[in-house]
Amino acid sequence: MADITVSVNGAARTGSVEPRKTLADFLRDDLDLTGTHVGCEHGVCGACTVIVDGRPVRSCLMLAVQAAGSEVTTIEGLAPDGALGTLQQAMWDSHSFQCGFCTPGFVMQATAYLGEHPDAGEQEIREALSGNICRCTGYQSIIDGVLLAAQRSREA
Amino acid sequence: MAQIAAERYTGASIKRSEDPRILTGRGRYVDDLKLPGMLHAAFVRSPLAHGRVLSVDASAARELPGVVLVLTGADLETMTIRGQDPLFAMMGAGGPMPDYSLLATDTVRFVGDPVAIVVAESRYLAEDGCDLIEVDYEDLPPVVSAATALDPGSPPLFANLGDNIIGPHKRDEFGDVAGTFAAADVVADFHIDVHRHQNVPMEGRGCVASFDPDSGFMTVYAATQSVHVTKMAVASRLGIEPDKVRVLAGDIGGSFGLKIGASREELAAAAASRALGRPVKWTEDRSENLAASGQAREESFDVRAAVSKDGDLLGLDVQMVLDNGAYPVMGTMVPSIMEMMLPGPYKLAALGFESTAVATNKASYIAYRGPWASETFVRERVIDLLAAELGLDPLEIRLRNIAPRTDPPHMMVTGRPLVGVTSAESLERVAELVDVPAFRRRQASERAKGRYLGIGMATFIEGAPGPRSPEGSSGLMGMEHMRLTLASDGVVTLFTGQMPHGQSHQTTLAQIAADEFGVPFGQVRVVVGDTDVVPFGLTGGSRSATMTGGVALHGARQLRGKVLDFASALFEASAQDLEIADGDVFVRGDPDSAMPVAEVARQAASGEFSVDADTAFEVEAAYDGGEGGWSGGSHCAIVEVDAETGIVTVERYVAAEDCGALINPAVVEGQIRGGIAQGIGAVLLERSAYDADGNYQSATFMDYLLPTACDVPRIEISHLETVPLDADVNFRGVGEGGMIVAPPTVVNAIEDALAPFGVRIYEQHLPPARILELIAEADAG
Repeated sequence: MADITVSVNGAARTGSVEPRKTLADFLRDDLDLTGTHVGCEHGVCGACTVIVDGRPVRSCLMLAVQAAGSEVTTIEGLAPDGALGTLQQAMWDSHSFQCGFCTPGFVMQATAYLGEHPDAGEQEIREALSGNICRCTGYQSIIDGVLLAAQRSREA
Repeated sequence: MAQIAAERYTGASIKRSEDPRILTGRGRYVDDLKLPGMLHAAFVRSPLAHGRVLSVDASAARELPGVVLVLTGADLETMTIRGQDPLFAMMGAGGPMPDYSLLATDTVRFVGDPVAIVVAESRYLAEDGCDLIEVDYEDLPPVVSAATALDPGSPPLFANLGDNIIGPHKRDEFGDVAGTFAAADVVADFHIDVHRHQNVPMEGRGCVASFDPDSGFMTVYAATQSVHVTKMAVASRLGIEPDKVRVLAGDIGGSFGLKIGASREELAAAAASRALGRPVKWTEDRSENLAASGQAREESFDVRAAVSKDGDLLGLDVQMVLDNGAYPVMGTMVPSIMEMMLPGPYKLAALGFESTAVATNKASYIAYRGPWASETFVRERVIDLLAAELGLDPLEIRLRNIAPRTDPPHMMVTGRPLVGVTSAESLERVAELVDVPAFRRRQASERAKGRYLGIGMATFIEGAPGPRSPEGSSGLMGMEHMRLTLASDGVVTLFTGQMPHGQSHQTTLAQIAADEFGVPFGQVRVVVGDTDVVPFGLTGGSRSATMTGGVALHGARQLRGKVLDFASALFEASAQDLEIADGDVFVRGDPDSAMPVAEVARQAASGEFSVDADTAFEVEAAYDGGEGGWSGGSHCAIVEVDAETGIVTVERYVAAEDCGALINPAVVEGQIRGGIAQGIGAVLLERSAYDADGNYQSATFMDYLLPTACDVPRIEISHLETVPLDADVNFRGVGEGGMIVAPPTVVNAIEDALAPFGVRIYEQHLPPARILELIAEADAG
């Protein structure tokens, strides 16, 4: 077992983990942050995306021990005071999601992307989110939500 | 002072009440549950398509620290009761009943067939335990294709059947089939294949089973389309009195027909929990989901069409072989639905339909969004092939053959009335939206430059719920029930057996009830997912818009009547003179008399009023679907095919849909787009592939390709004005149509794009390599 300390959503969290434990399982099982979803465990679907040191990461492909000393943001960290952030609100307004299982991955991926590309257009957003799979929506409502959030952020 | 709500919630794209929790990570999916003392299960699965199990040695696994229990198929035989899949047991079409155990005992029948369950302190340890279990198999010849399975000499999957015919050959005729074919100008034959593909919800199957040895109660937290069907399965297969089984469900990460009842794995996890007296969680991983949860489609059709030289489609004679895979779930139920639906909205006067379902060493054939959809694929493909043969325009031949809306309505040759069907209007609408003549001009000029554009259309109807039958109910699966209450806090609560897994029932049912009862949207609560409090129900078959929307409307009306009966004493006015709006009861025309419904409910509960009226503000409502009706629509795709790479790009996609009155347009459009995306995936990407030995080839997302945001275009949706049939309830189901009609729409467009090569398409799966083959074959031919 390895003792690790990870900053998660701004708070130092410690754990004693097997070296083989994924970051996703550490977040879900050890820290009870079940907002991060595991959709494929081989890095394709993007449902488990979290932000590690400012970059979107597939938490099913990263070991918990690799995250030691890093700053991790999960979906629970986006709206800690209970209010929705700009992107979440725009996605609500756009009816972005249906079953909600892929949602945390899309929200985290889009958060990271918009942070670096606030002026992105539809095609760029589609490409940036093409590593996240949604089986319910056909994507249009998700893209619309991201576009609306980008527009609101620019106008703010 | 009471304000009459200026607008109704019903018909507006009300923001979903599900979303705040989903967008913040507070959704509660079954894998999020953690119970005290909970253990984790994993399964040992067959690496062979077909084999005899000679021995299972679990001794090393049982000694591994952290492993708590190993149960083999033989162990589970002593702890459970044999039976059929719950969906099959509920709706099975009769015929042969294969006899098989919960987990494999002597025979494995597909790659992924579960052989043993390992229960451990963590999922990691459970999988370690699986690795230590030694299973000796003897290879049996795999039955991988339907053609092999039809051979009486093929080794039977099930000893008690003697052959691999799981749905016996059956032929039905409607109209004068022989006479129609004898008199036709043209008789054309086609062989059409639909490939195996699958649901792939982003959340796999899973459960937490928790048996309390002191009380003998079993609680199962499930991901299911019906908590009650799951309860029936758990009770019957584990031999527990139904009153001692409670099934709960929270948020569910999609299903599309996969999660009905309780799977063999879930039943094994429940049996393990009972054996241990501790909670056991099983969460399906993605490779299990792709290999073993079940797959859909895979039928082949020999179609003979009788047609006049002017393009009148006179008769069809269809022979279908359905590849059921290993175990009976849905495969033997589908043929009769296909037969009934095959005429679609057309005048078709003669139909011969015969079918055989065979067992093969592949994953089981399960329900997937529009389980009978291949009838629409076959019909809409054949119409385009006939149009090409006769030199007619595909739109014109469709419009020529669609039954006119008459009174009395035209009867489908298979027996149901085509009442209120707007197929002609939807075809004309999509044609107008895409401007077909302008497209044809662009297509010609692009072809001259070596770019291959194509346009395709297809139309469908769906019995969601279907027109009222003479027997009285329009719902395919009987009455829909709902319990409704008004509590002292003024909240109207709906208890429904619907089990939403993305369909937004928490929002849409509240919209209907809020309008009908007269309270704000936020004052309606929708309770799902607990067999102790919700009535029987099932989310499936695009049933809920009409059936549950209808019972919510009529139930809210009954509850309102009850409240007004009581309030008439309070207000000293007759109930007929009272209204409820925006959460207040008041005397019509006297807004100053307003009293919040919460206050009325408190007064009723106080017992201080010795009035004759019933003060229990609770109703048990039931609804038979009213006049019912068809959903339907027509879709049009414009594609570009790169003849060098074989890559197909969907440039434009237009849908004209008629699902009656819309409850929530954004929800409706989400259902349509999602179905279309699955249909585009089915044609361009997705295939559940097996090799010649029955090895599964698509067990990861690197092999089973799903459409991404770059594959699905912006989808344009036009809603047709409904033909109202019912006095109150004209909402119709819209869950399956996109997936039903998108595959023929896209394939028709691809064939049109490849017309310069003379390509004819008789299949549904068209990845780039296959496109290039089709072009090469046409060139060679």
